[in-house]
Amino acid sequence: MKNGEVLLDVKELVQYFPIRRGVLQKVVGYVHAVDGISFDIKRGETLGLVGESGCGKTTTGRSILQLYKPTSGQVIFDGMNLVELNGKKMREERKKIQMIFQDPYASLNPRMTVEEIVGEPLKIHKIVENSEIRNKVKELLELVRLNPAYIDRYPHEFSGGQRQRIGVARALALNPELIVCDEPISALDVSVQAQIVNMLEELQSEMNLTYLFIAHDLSVVKHISDRVAVMYLGVIMEMTSRDELYSNPLHPYTIALLSAVPIPDPEKEINRKRIILEGDVPSPVDPPSGCRFRTRCPLAQEICAKERPEFREVKPGHFVACHLVREITPGVFRAEI
Amino acid sequence: MNGNKKTLLEVKNLETSFSTWEGMVHAVNGVSFKLSEGETLGIVGESGCGKSVTVLSLLRLIQSPPGKIVNGTAFFNGKDLMKMTEKELNEVRGSQISLIFQDPMTFFNPVLTIGEQVMEPLKLHLGVSEADAQARAIEILNMVGISNPEERLKDYPYQFSGGMRQRAMIAMALICSPQILIADEPTTALDVTVQAQIVDLVKKLRDELGMSIIWITHDLGIVAGLVDRVAVMYAGYIVETADVMELYKNPRHPYTIGLLGSLPRLDETERRKLASIDGIPPVLFRSASTCPFAPRCPYRIDRCFNENPMLRNVGDGHEIACWVDVVNHKEQV
Repeated sequence: MKNGEVLLDVKELVQYFPIRRGVLQKVVGYVHAVDGISFDIKRGETLGLVGESGCGKTTTGRSILQLYKPTSGQVIFDGMNLVELNGKKMREERKKIQMIFQDPYASLNPRMTVEEIVGEPLKIHKIVENSEIRNKVKELLELVRLNPAYIDRYPHEFSGGQRQRIGVARALALNPELIVCDEPISALDVSVQAQIVNMLEELQSEMNLTYLFIAHDLSVVKHISDRVAVMYLGVIMEMTSRDELYSNPLHPYTIALLSAVPIPDPEKEINRKRIILEGDVPSPVDPPSGCRFRTRCPLAQEICAKERPEFREVKPGHFVACHLVREITPGVFRAEI
Repeated sequence: MNGNKKTLLEVKNLETSFSTWEGMVHAVNGVSFKLSEGETLGIVGESGCGKSVTVLSLLRLIQSPPGKIVNGTAFFNGKDLMKMTEKELNEVRGSQISLIFQDPMTFFNPVLTIGEQVMEPLKLHLGVSEADAQARAIEILNMVGISNPEERLKDYPYQFSGGMRQRAMIAMALICSPQILIADEPTTALDVTVQAQIVDLVKKLRDELGMSIIWITHDLGIVAGLVDRVAVMYAGYIVETADVMELYKNPRHPYTIGLLGSLPRLDETERRKLASIDGIPPVLFRSASTCPFAPRCPYRIDRCFNENPMLRNVGDGHEIACWVDVVNHKEQV
């Protein structure tokens, strides 16, 4: 399969989590974590999935790997619907989809050495002979710019950035096609973040990887992504190419979000007008009717409470879920960057 | 910018260390700065650079042992905070200098109402009656944008959202009309849209109340639009300080230059490789006789490993602690 072909196609993915109460653990409600989202990722590209905490971006990543059983919808990877696969077949497919986690302290077992951590997937999937594992792990460490001499060390002997490199090495062990990067740099020191971002970019071109890059930081997402999807309360609000999203955002939420990001330049900041949204993100247990964003949207109208806006293509490749897209006058409601 | 205004706080050679099993951690190593009336100072640095310990030391809120303020003076309104008795200091804490923190969830006592906690400093410091305290609490909660404050006073912290708790914490810090508000990463735990609300609110309150602010953060983006002066900290030292415009336009310390270059920016149009800083922040076991940034510095010279540079003026209140003139790439005397 060539670059540019669809590698992952997510269709109407829904992921609810039941809330249980009482002695009988009766289901009293659902957390609407992901509520009918559709997107695709083409081979070799990076799709940035951005949103505030609790918007369902991490759940989306985990549902793609079938770490949760999706409530409904399809996750088509390389032509195969992962939702329908049985455990054995899924395990085969999972080799091709790996994950990098946010917290490099919690995602590595403190009682295992680097060799055991990075070698574990090789062992489980019987990729190489047991006698070869050590050499393969050393190769992987070199790939993520870690000294192979560290192979017998434990996680506590490494800094946050180095641990994240170990996590990346583990993800690369099975030679995956798609990597779900779940906030891979947000737990790291500022001066170390750029090292990891640069490495992920280099690895992508060296190994022809496809990334789903999940983050809350719009600046990082802009830096690394080819296309960007903006999530809010379990729904994708807007999705388009990175240049289009950052220069011509159409959804009021995207506009407000971009407007809220500080720019490290006092001359720009001093005159920059911000769109300040009111209130906090509502609870996903009982999300607003109609458009999820309407309770905080400065432009909301009657229709927004009644009907859920369709996620439609308003320009080639530019998808927006908003009733008012055509009525937002550019220049009046816009994000100053 | 505030050159003619009265100096409110003058910190000199503040040094704080912690004794641990692995040795002495030198968290703050001779930090000096001034804060004028109405001025907002940003202290920027990565985790572990000593920025929080610096301000906690000012109010002597360092737990001892293991911590110890080894050296330094901090004159506030002509009196040295380091020499005050505990009683005198309690008059200052939460009244003339107050603190807000990163995590509004652990800040509040979960079993007391928001009202009781917001009113506490007023009753404690100024001996205000219950009824007056309540009236003032309602006023201040209104000011920080909490709607229906009469009712919300009776709520418990868990009934407030993250952004609301941060507002209530600000209300509590401001209820005694302090001269200095110290904000220790108050928006780090918040989402970007809520962060914008809080920054906007603090700016508004600053203009209305005229207090000075020390804003601590790791985010060079936030301070750009908020502060008058910036002090960049690394390994327990201030390595560069300047007026905010000057610092972003002409950063002179290799660490500041590195940090600014490593940030992905929203206003960038071209794709570029991020300029990363090699290596990792140092552990602070040694008392430095070398420049703490030298091992990661692309401009280092031999001298950096022999002598630790002190802050020196390079013009117009712009100070750096570096042996190298990075702009011309030569050693400075």
